[in-house]
Amino acid sequence: MNDKKLLKELADSVVACDPNRARIASEEALKEGIDPVEAINKGLVIGMGVIGNDYAEHKIYLPQVLVAAHSMYEGLNVLLPAIPKGDLSDAKTAITAVVQGDVHDIGKNIVKTMLTAGGYIVNDLGKDVTPSSIANTAKETSVNVVCLSTLMTPTMDSMQEAVKLINDNGYHKNCIITIGGPPTSEKFAKEIGADHRDDDAQSCVKYVNSKMKKEVK
Amino acid sequence: MVMSCRDRVLAAINQETLDRPPVAVFTTCDTIGMMKASGASWPEAHSDPQKMATLGCAQADYFGLESVRAGFCLTEEAEALGCPIDMGTSHSSPMLKGHRNKYDPMKKIYDEPNDLPDIDVFLNTKRVKTTIEAMKIMKKTHGEKYCVVGGNTGPFTLCGHLLNTENLVYSVWTDPKEAQKWVAAIAPYCKAFGQALLDAGADIVQMSEPSASTDILAPSDFPIQSGQFVKHALGDLTGHTILHICGDSAPIIPFMFDTGVTGISVEEKVPPEKAVKIANKRGALVGNVGCAMPLYKGTPQEVAKAARASRDAGFNVISAGCGVPIGTPDDNIRALVKAITG
Repeated sequence: MNDKKLLKELADSVVACDPNRARIASEEALKEGIDPVEAINKGLVIGMGVIGNDYAEHKIYLPQVLVAAHSMYEGLNVLLPAIPKGDLSDAKTAITAVVQGDVHDIGKNIVKTMLTAGGYIVNDLGKDVTPSSIANTAKETSVNVVCLSTLMTPTMDSMQEAVKLINDNGYHKNCIITIGGPPTSEKFAKEIGADHRDDDAQSCVKYVNSKMKKEVK
Repeated sequence: MVMSCRDRVLAAINQETLDRPPVAVFTTCDTIGMMKASGASWPEAHSDPQKMATLGCAQADYFGLESVRAGFCLTEEAEALGCPIDMGTSHSSPMLKGHRNKYDPMKKIYDEPNDLPDIDVFLNTKRVKTTIEAMKIMKKTHGEKYCVVGGNTGPFTLCGHLLNTENLVYSVWTDPKEAQKWVAAIAPYCKAFGQALLDAGADIVQMSEPSASTDILAPSDFPIQSGQFVKHALGDLTGHTILHICGDSAPIIPFMFDTGVTGISVEEKVPPEKAVKIANKRGALVGNVGCAMPLYKGTPQEVAKAARASRDAGFNVISAGCGVPIGTPDDNIRALVKAITG
């Protein structure tokens, strides 16, 4: 298989929600001497982009997205260790978290997946994460992007507190804060001092990419 | 003769013609304001039948809502079936801290649903029993004037609690039969709990099935993965039943009615007129004033406007679109009631 076909196979394996196929194609790509960064960006990421767009347009639903994400990670598990460490030093970084009081993390996991597909190195803090842990991690690890999620209405207050602490510790000028989850709204994002709110993970990554070029120093 | 709140709610869910719809919250409504007013607070009110009944009745006693309702979260069945729970605080609801069974569709490792407790044991365990006992108290103290509503969890959602929701959803794509096997095994527990609530005095069982929302399952998957089991667990009960599903439920409203329930509860993500049109009088419509906005974060005026929009569209029961947030201002709940009762 030539390079072009292999890259297409990588993308197709994700779109087809086939983890084994993605792993095999990734191993093949390395064997054929394809640059692993290229295999990720022009293969797996392209496929995950198709999935993200289809999900945002309600052409597919969560079960398919989860299996497609698994397929992408199967490929990444092969390709990422083959990238020389220095090549990742300029990569953009993000943290993802479900705020304190909430344990519903499927939406957050999709955002994590789409950020990974977008080339970000993601530190996933998990679920039920305290505001102070979010604010401290953002500052101490100098992240570019903070993505916060909640499914439940009462825990919107935890989200507000996390954003407040990032403002209080002075780090907000160095990062973009985005929020998401059914009870949130753009109005709420403005109210609590977050930069943005999105309906879906794909839009979140598009927004963050557009702002990264302009704002993050 | 003045119609009682109970008669009005029952007439409304049976789609009888009324001078005005009732205002009643069948999903959870146990705010900080209600806790302060009634003296019964979380977390104790989750586990103490008397406190649960007192707090559940506060929605009528202090806000003039036209039904009373308990329990207060969607973790009680999971706890009774063996999941670890953090009971939360006065300001935060109980949270699931782990799962009961191994269910990993990525590695194809699945526990079999063959070590679940006897249903009688389940009904007498922890907060499942608390809620059943609370129904008896509520029926005694408020049952003459108000409809007593018992809340429980839908089979697909409960199954996700036991197994890990993300893994269950993943398997809907890769091993749908495995998912169905588990939901089928869990549905009898949901049904038994619903029937026990009715037997203890509930007039209505309101089941929440959030994990089957269109944010998670494809509408075409709903009847197979959730609907058929909801029919068994809720639609087949011998009493009034309301099915609540979060999110934009417009594509699944016909499937929700296919479960045989008396009515359905929908969020504000479905515009009121659209919901009424799709429902096509197949059963009662309950909703759909937004919980985050306007109930929690909006003004009384915005709440009243949303309530009137649901009424004018033809909703049978005017209600919050989902569970009322715990920090919802008292004035906003009063505005919800006043907008309809005058």
